[in-house]
Amino acid sequence: MKRRIDIGILYSRSGSYPLLGEASRAGALGAIEAVNADPGRSIAFEPVERDPAGRIDAYAPLAAEILRDTPARHVVGCITSWSRKEIIPALEKQGGLLWYAAPYEGFEANDHVVYLNASPNQHLVPLVAHVAARFGRDAFLVGSNYIWGWEMNRIARDLVADAGGEVRGERYLPLGDTDVSRLIEEIRATAPAFVLNNLIGPSSYAFYAAYAALGRDDPRFRPERRPIVSCNLTESELPSIAPFGEGHLACLPFVHDGGPGPRSSFEAAAHAAVTVLADAIEAAGTDAPDAVRRVLASRPHVTALGTIRIDARTQHAALPVKIARIAGPRFEVLEESRGAVEPDPYLSHYDPAATFRPGLRLVR
Amino acid sequence: MIRRTRIPNLGGAKAVVLHRPHAGVEALTRQLGAIGLEVEEAWPELPASAAGADFLFFDVDLGFEEQFPWAPGEAPMPLVALIGSEAPGRIEWALSRQADAQLLKPVGSAGVYAALLIARRAFDERRRLAAEIASLRERVAERQTVVRAVVALSSRTTNEEQAYAQLRALAMSWQVTLEEAARRVVDLKTGEGSHERPRRA
Repeated sequence: MKRRIDIGILYSRSGSYPLLGEASRAGALGAIEAVNADPGRSIAFEPVERDPAGRIDAYAPLAAEILRDTPARHVVGCITSWSRKEIIPALEKQGGLLWYAAPYEGFEANDHVVYLNASPNQHLVPLVAHVAARFGRDAFLVGSNYIWGWEMNRIARDLVADAGGEVRGERYLPLGDTDVSRLIEEIRATAPAFVLNNLIGPSSYAFYAAYAALGRDDPRFRPERRPIVSCNLTESELPSIAPFGEGHLACLPFVHDGGPGPRSSFEAAAHAAVTVLADAIEAAGTDAPDAVRRVLASRPHVTALGTIRIDARTQHAALPVKIARIAGPRFEVLEESRGAVEPDPYLSHYDPAATFRPGLRLVR
Repeated sequence: MIRRTRIPNLGGAKAVVLHRPHAGVEALTRQLGAIGLEVEEAWPELPASAAGADFLFFDVDLGFEEQFPWAPGEAPMPLVALIGSEAPGRIEWALSRQADAQLLKPVGSAGVYAALLIARRAFDERRRLAAEIASLRERVAERQTVVRAVVALSSRTTNEEQAYAQLRALAMSWQVTLEEAARRVVDLKTGEGSHERPRRA
């Protein structure tokens, strides 16, 4: 007889980024199903679902509700950093643990959060290094007007400068805004070597469509010359930008190979979150968050993201890094890390010299 | 001056936490480790190795003057005050030690990174200002030397303004400050005088 354990699921199924919420939700529920069906497991999960519907103010009360009114001590959820930061006080107050499976901008290591997706040393740093070496160093930075875009672009400015390039422009759109005409004009006028896209949801889809139109008009802006690069575009959104995404790049910990199982890195990371949680609860013999945290890092976990480890100090996952190009409904991997890359959420170990080897030989 | 913060390089930086072992500061050690710093805990003695630390966190509640081998305001690294009781006397003491940032106890996951960046910036700014003030003081002290040098360079054919311009030109060609050039001019003149005297004798 399996022990039943309630876990919270907190993903938005509507609002300005429903595809990401749906993909993550599918991953978490798929993993719950797998845990429950696994005869080797001593536990079964019972999902306690709440849907904030993309309303930022709904997250904290719903997280508090899960932790206060149900037996669940763990919440798998949140896409945006904004929502994660909103629910942290509730986690601290109620002693809950959030399993956060979206890529984020780093510079956080909260006791009450386990980070299952990539942070900048696992996405932005290798991505900028990749494109700077192949397309050129000058960048145009775009983003949705909230913390993900601001912080990603702040890091990108330093990376571009370290690569010896120049930031040709930096522009933000309100969440959900699809008027990208001005952005496109500025990109045309400044002709950067690549565009870093930190827009999310419909703003991002509108941007790919408009950039493709620009490329038809002016061949300098075709993806093989000046790609759009992104750290959060996954298979779950490729249908929303098809065929305009063709040839553009993303840096992800997981790429769908067309087989069964998770179909995007959001889905795979949420799936992995539930797997690691199940492993840890079984190892700890309880779902008490403190006990779970203590055993998290003790052994590797076989997950949808591959065999991964959780770093005890930062509670971030060591993850593979894949740089991939959109090809039809899928990504084709162009470059990948040898093994998992250790998390470095504060970029404390970032080394510009090792990241950007000089393009010209040094004259001594 | 507007400086944009770069990716702060804290990897391998060393922090000393001057606090008795206590649950209220456990999260501090953990968080510093997560950020990538090496942490050394000490109480009540500050070890000699602390002189090489990049940050010093110190307890305001039980801390005392003799713990620090340097005068107030002369710590060689940024200081972060760990405040528990908000007793005015203790805050006063933390201020007298010129803390660059503070954290309230019990310390949680949040706030440590901000305290590191704020303390680093405040410390650098304090150092920069101190250096600037020292250099300005030096220049003020040399006012008389400049006047003497201008007088020495003036003659029947050159007026004060030309003499001053000449002094500036000398400073530029010697690549020294105006005050230093003035000192050299004055020394030269005094030197000439001391040579002349024996000849006259």
